[in-house]
Amino acid sequence: MKNKSLSFWLFMTPTLVALALVVFVPFVYGFIYSFSDWNGLHATEFLGLDHYVNLIQSENFLSAIWFTIKFAVVSIVLVNVIGLGLALLVTQHLKVSNLFRTVFFMPNLIGGLILGFIWQFIFVSAFDSAGRLLGWEFLQGWLADPTTGFWGLVILNAWQYSGYIMIIYIAYLEAVPKELIEAADIDGANPFQRFWKVTFPLVAPAFTISMFLTLSNAFKMYDQNLALTGGGPFKSTEMIAMDIYNTAFSENNMAFAQAKAVVFFILVAAVALTQVYYNKKREVDL
Amino acid sequence: MNKSFLKKGFIASMLTGVLVLGACSSGDGNDEAADGQTVVDIFQFKVEFKDQFEQIVQDFEEENPDIKINVQTVGGGNDYGAALKSSFAAGNEPDIFNVGGPSDVDEYRDYLADLSDTEAASQALEGTLDGVEQQNGEILGLPYNQEGYGYIYNKEIFEQAGVDAESISTYEDLEEAFATIDSQKEELGIDAVIALPAKELWVMGNHLGNTFFASDFDNSIVEAYEADTIPLERSQELKRMLDLQNEYSVQPVLSLDYSQQVEQLFSTGRVAVIQQGNWVYPTIEQMDAEFAENNIGMIPIPVDGLEGHLPVGVPNYWGVNKQSDEEVQEAAKQFLDWMYTSDTGKDFVLNEFKFIPAYDGYDEEQIADPLSKEVYKYSQEGNTIGWVFLGTPNGWQEHVLGAEMQRYLSGDASWDEAMESAISQWESARK
Amino acid sequence: MKQKKRNRLILTITGIFLTLLWISPFYLMFTNAFKMKSDIFTNIIGLPKEWTFENFQQAFIDLDFVNSFMNSVIVSVLSVGLLIIFSSMAGYALARNTSKLSGVIFLIFVAAMLIPFQSVMIPLVSIFGQADMLNRSGLIFMYLGFGASLSIFLYHGAMTGISKSLDEAAIIDGANRWQLFWKIIFPMLKPISVTVMILNLIWIWNDYLLPSLVLNAEEATIPLKMFFFFGQYTKQWHLALAGLAIAVIPVIIIYFFAQKHIIKGVSEGAVK
Repeated sequence: MKNKSLSFWLFMTPTLVALALVVFVPFVYGFIYSFSDWNGLHATEFLGLDHYVNLIQSENFLSAIWFTIKFAVVSIVLVNVIGLGLALLVTQHLKVSNLFRTVFFMPNLIGGLILGFIWQFIFVSAFDSAGRLLGWEFLQGWLADPTTGFWGLVILNAWQYSGYIMIIYIAYLEAVPKELIEAADIDGANPFQRFWKVTFPLVAPAFTISMFLTLSNAFKMYDQNLALTGGGPFKSTEMIAMDIYNTAFSENNMAFAQAKAVVFFILVAAVALTQVYYNKKREVDL
Repeated sequence: MNKSFLKKGFIASMLTGVLVLGACSSGDGNDEAADGQTVVDIFQFKVEFKDQFEQIVQDFEEENPDIKINVQTVGGGNDYGAALKSSFAAGNEPDIFNVGGPSDVDEYRDYLADLSDTEAASQALEGTLDGVEQQNGEILGLPYNQEGYGYIYNKEIFEQAGVDAESISTYEDLEEAFATIDSQKEELGIDAVIALPAKELWVMGNHLGNTFFASDFDNSIVEAYEADTIPLERSQELKRMLDLQNEYSVQPVLSLDYSQQVEQLFSTGRVAVIQQGNWVYPTIEQMDAEFAENNIGMIPIPVDGLEGHLPVGVPNYWGVNKQSDEEVQEAAKQFLDWMYTSDTGKDFVLNEFKFIPAYDGYDEEQIADPLSKEVYKYSQEGNTIGWVFLGTPNGWQEHVLGAEMQRYLSGDASWDEAMESAISQWESARK
Repeated sequence: MKQKKRNRLILTITGIFLTLLWISPFYLMFTNAFKMKSDIFTNIIGLPKEWTFENFQQAFIDLDFVNSFMNSVIVSVLSVGLLIIFSSMAGYALARNTSKLSGVIFLIFVAAMLIPFQSVMIPLVSIFGQADMLNRSGLIFMYLGFGASLSIFLYHGAMTGISKSLDEAAIIDGANRWQLFWKIIFPMLKPISVTVMILNLIWIWNDYLLPSLVLNAEEATIPLKMFFFFGQYTKQWHLALAGLAIAVIPVIIIYFFAQKHIIKGVSEGAVK
């Protein structure tokens, strides 16, 4: 037993140390500074909860949170449905499966900023000319109002991220023993039943992971937001990460930005950890 | 087979890891200064002249073998503030860096040396030091250059439409000109008269906004910086101009960005006018050199009672780090002086950087492009409107005023609501 | 049988349709990389009027490609290597230890994924700056810290599929935990290791903000150089797209080969 706990710590130390130094210590620093007038270089005054009080009254912050939540909910559903769909498609051992896999994953090989710029062009110019050609009005004027700005971000995110989630599903789908599926097949189960009764329970951990990843990704998205809409028009598509960044560097209010980050973190952590907890519990039940 | 693929990969990466870690700790690489050399680190943001700037640094080093200069340029357009702050937070402070105006000066005050004893400071044109001059006479930065903006127009289209751009002076003239051009859109082969890039907060809030609120502060960046509120006396004029641009613009304006405005629409002759500054010249030149050289001109944005005035200002300053060693500070000043006042330097500033000089003693005939020439002319005659937007509360001009103007354009708020909100946010920022 | 064939055909056609949908932005990227700058704005969708390789030459020079490519390789390979080694160990330890403490540590790692980078950025560089660690080794260490959570999360999930009886059998045979892990468990984690490798590789390969704060000019990676195409006002699209095309090809190749290992690995290790 003793041996076991020694090796436990031996196995854990490198990542724990790195995580502590790189993420937690700086975060705690920031947390402490959020009670002061810190500007990134030095702090001169203790302000107590001032920033937190202002924050609750900050319309920008509240609307950024609301927008981010809406975006996250829609994205999580879309990305997971499409991602799982793609994963099922490419694990059918079709002749071109490998090519499919590569293509679906390709968006992730390029940084978010550049993808954002490319899609901005697609929404604004390509959609517009297609709309004019076909006489479809809804294709025109994309990204110029809050609604199309929202859907633009959702589409970009689904396009990019479902390939990412796909490869996580693939890793688990490939691990489902063929004999099980064949056995179910022989027992006369239809494909749908096979999926729900046999495959689904075995890839449950993949759901936990994918849901969590899409959640944290949606909440932390910055590059695509900046490149695609820049938060506009009039900040209506500004997500939390961008609001924090702008507060810190455009408005030069580092301490206030840290306070926002802390509140944001608590909020997401509460949602995400509940979700992980329930999914884990369900995995065990299955 | 497969096992060994991964395993070998790990072993190899571990080994290289050890080697690289060793190599890294043995020397930082960057400061390969020879004995007795003074090393000056420059941290600058203007990607557009990165290559030319590195060239001038090299020329300087050849003339001054005892000084070594490292240049670091931050790419990506808008990350300079974050990168600069990080380098200070990390204790990696540069010796020369960029400050934008009074709020940056306040922010980095402890790190900004007095430059009033430099030759460049004594040569700086009147008004170009406003943003960095302190009450005690200290000068905490040296101007990069001057920039100016207005309506840039396509001469050929104006001529074909029978509009004389030079005679446009009042708002009514401009309105009439737009209407005339608009009525001949088909014949002229243009999509619309103007392209209003309402997506770009800086075009809206900084530039268009500034044109109409500079008079609130007597054109003084310092006054704006100290103001508790903004009267927005010309609010109705600003609205009128924004409405005019919107009415005659390619739609939808709210997703139109700088690149579409300048490259896709103006440079290709699909719109007749844009509201931009002399900095667009290299971009247009890249698209169509012949067009850039012969076919574009600039006129002021009409402001009641201030017709014929062009907004001209200093977008950025060079600061020298007060915390650096005495000799490094001296070398830094020497370099800045040399760049702006020596003959080699001046030649570079005009012909390679293509700057509008903010200093005396330049041969204006040599100013490279027609837009810069025009701006310089207004600046020489003193017919300018100040760039006070660098003195607004941090980020207000873009993230508040620019965003509120967008809100108005989208129909989400009335003009009065939008401006009231902008004013109250100024006030709460200055509380 | 016939029906099965038809199903497969339908699937293939759906796949091809989706592939086209997915690939269209890349079509834009690659074709526009061959256009002159003015051509990009007048004719975005069509093929180049005149194919030019100048952009590639220019981008190759501006990116200082050979050097920045090597810099990118060094940072990515080392970071990913360390991430795989240390995260697999941690994921294993956390999955096998069922104590409360282990559960808490796991949740801490998970929670760390939710901290926005922007909010730790300044304190992070400040701490590492004081320790004189703002260099390549510091960066690699930071990647270990930022990447560990996701990697551990993935390994932890994969461990649930590996039976504990394996551990017990090996211990009875006299192996210690270290040997047990590397000889028996780690090889079985291969599909997930390849996944971890790919996900971390693309993140680190494309990362801009963190290295821009940490690396000096000589150590600059491709994305850092790439951003010189994006200025205060202008975006040099013709060069950026060409640069992007050169930079992305090696990663596409790696991904293409690596994904085969995900599949092969499983069919071999399917003894569970």
